[in-house]
Amino acid sequence: MQLSDWELVQKCQTGDVGAFQELVARHYSKVFMVVLGILNQREDALEIAQEAFFRAFRKINGFRGGATFYTWIYRIAVNLSIDFQRRQKRNPTEFRETVDDVAENQTESESDPYRDLQRSELGKQMLAAIDDLTPDHKAVIVLRAVEGLSYREISRILGCSEGTVMSRLHYARKKLQEKLTPFLS
Amino acid sequence: MMKCEAVRDNLGAWLDGEVGHPEADQIRGHLEGCPACLAEKKRLDQLQSSLQEVLRLEAATVPFELFWNGVERRIAEKLPWRLQLLDWLRPVFYPGRLAWAIPVVIVSILGLLSLDQILPEWPWVNKNNRTAVESIDAFGFNVAVFREYDTKTTVIWLFENQDDEEQSSAEPIQDDNPTF
Repeated sequence: MQLSDWELVQKCQTGDVGAFQELVARHYSKVFMVVLGILNQREDALEIAQEAFFRAFRKINGFRGGATFYTWIYRIAVNLSIDFQRRQKRNPTEFRETVDDVAENQTESESDPYRDLQRSELGKQMLAAIDDLTPDHKAVIVLRAVEGLSYREISRILGCSEGTVMSRLHYARKKLQEKLTPFLS
Repeated sequence: MMKCEAVRDNLGAWLDGEVGHPEADQIRGHLEGCPACLAEKKRLDQLQSSLQEVLRLEAATVPFELFWNGVERRIAEKLPWRLQLLDWLRPVFYPGRLAWAIPVVIVSILGLLSLDQILPEWPWVNKNNRTAVESIDAFGFNVAVFREYDTKTTVIWLFENQDDEEQSSAEPIQDDNPTF
């Protein structure tokens, strides 16, 4: 029988790294999607998503089950992504070097699937349009698209009200529609 | 009958299932008779599904092993002692586990106020009436102790911090204002 997230968290709290590996396996894909939607850079997104899980591992003993594991890990990942992007804007050179260093250390295929994906015109335009949004607006639209989270869940992850989530989503969709009108039927 | 502008303002929330019952029915009814708003709904649907697809395709290119290796490498790296200490202390000082703080504060105050009985000969022991208030911030509680020297009466009063309550109840009201 498959253990629930909370049961795995409890095993992690006893030092079971295997249980944490199972949690990562369950959630890494969607966490990566959320981070990628905010950062729009594959290497950066990979780095930040991995860091989010590492931070969760470090803080797992403080996790009491008041929230679900996935809202908790999304919260860590979104906060890290927004912080990263803000710092990157303040000091782009420093961050570019850091990401390059990381990229050198990773064994990835030579082709860049992210750029391959951008061949799709709508996909390309979509990523460009999202990139023009503020990190806060990106976060709401990506959390909604990736996981189909309710406004209440999104508000808990972002630490804002449901009204704020609704208005940010409305604004973000409007902006995306304006930019993508020629590509939407 | 709702107007197109009102429908379009709520269309995204309606698609997300976040519009209440009577209004949701009105929007549904409007869409059945308004091709322009129906087209708008389809564009929103397409926007949502395209974004999901773009991100899903990209995530599919990241194998679990690659991802886990990065996480495992971080776990294996030795943390600086300051972070290790912080990790060790975090569960101890987590608010839910600070229940030990209440009796410790009460006993400490009582001990201080009882010094005149424990060490009556010490010159610096004050033999006047005393009061003390200590706060236990994590719980929003205050402990007040009143000690009347002549009758040896001690009153211990545990009460909630009213300022914190007012502050916390005010926050959601402020938070409900949408920000853009």
